[in-house]
Amino acid sequence: MADKNMSFLVVDDFPTMRRIVRSLLKELGFTNVDEAEDGQDALNKLRSGKFEFVVSDWNMPNLDGLEMLKEIRQDDALKDLPVLMVTAEAKKENIIAAAQAGANGYVVKPFTAATLEEKLNKIFDKLGM
Amino acid sequence: MSQNEQSDSAQSSEQAAEDLIHRIGKLTRMLRENMRELGLDKEIEKAAEAIPDARDRLHYVATMTEQAADRALNAVDRAQPLQDQLSDRAEALDKRWAEWFEAPKELDEAKALVVETRTYLSDVPDVVSATNKELMEIMMAQDFQDLTGQVIKKMMDVIHEIEHQLVQVLIDNAPGAHARETLQRKAEDQWKSDNARRNEDLLNGPQVKDNVPDTVSGQDQVDDLLDELGF
Repeated sequence: MADKNMSFLVVDDFPTMRRIVRSLLKELGFTNVDEAEDGQDALNKLRSGKFEFVVSDWNMPNLDGLEMLKEIRQDDALKDLPVLMVTAEAKKENIIAAAQAGANGYVVKPFTAATLEEKLNKIFDKLGM
Repeated sequence: MSQNEQSDSAQSSEQAAEDLIHRIGKLTRMLRENMRELGLDKEIEKAAEAIPDARDRLHYVATMTEQAADRALNAVDRAQPLQDQLSDRAEALDKRWAEWFEAPKELDEAKALVVETRTYLSDVPDVVSATNKELMEIMMAQDFQDLTGQVIKKMMDVIHEIEHQLVQVLIDNAPGAHARETLQRKAEDQWKSDNARRNEDLLNGPQVKDNVPDTVSGQDQVDDLLDELGF
């Protein structure tokens, strides 16, 4: 079972969605959650803090989720960080692009609490967290 | 090519350019006259005025929906501890009663338990009604749907009107009956293909229509695709 103190960064430009994801994580027992409002904000937070898991939207101003993911994978300090995409982008080319860029999971909005839990657990299992 | 022919061709291209300018001028005049005649200049003025209004409407929709989500989430945050408290107290009392029945001890202890149980029972309706109040609040927060729905519908009408006016101006001013017919047909085709149109960009936002090609319609299809690709 994953460590309940695991530190999450939830990245979404909509405060409501950040709040929903945060609440769902809390429901799953993860209370160590911080938020970022776009990809750039997230990178700044990731580089200055200690985060173990990223849950990110795709369509955001300044730096979108895919570009952020690419930057994470190119950064020696961050490249192994698990990233779960939670996005309304439902085109096949999006899913393929995210997978190729190194996303650890892809959840399409609207999603259920059960889906989020399942995808998180799948990533925990795969990475032995 | 002789000197003469060269100057002839230069002359004729100059002539063609003049013709073109003349025709564009005539077309512009016709367009303006037609617009005035049809009252379209007023329509376009109205449409231009509608755009800042549309921006305000969109802002309104964004604000309303965010407020509604906050209202509902706040109600959930208030109701959850109430539910937890009811459940925790009942569990604790039940455990103490079970212990007492297992090994009945002092009568005083049983009396205390009875008093606490009665207090709990009398507290339950209050806590339940407080929870119900929060449920009602969640329900009421959904009233944004009605308001934003109306605003969005009005905006769609404005957009439809602008599109209609612009297309009609183009069609009315196409030179020749044949060209007009072609344009009319094209405009109709455009309406039809609008429904099937898709953006190649990677930032499309939520899928608002079902059965769009190359688009997944749910999490199962995402998972299948990723499995297929070996991710």
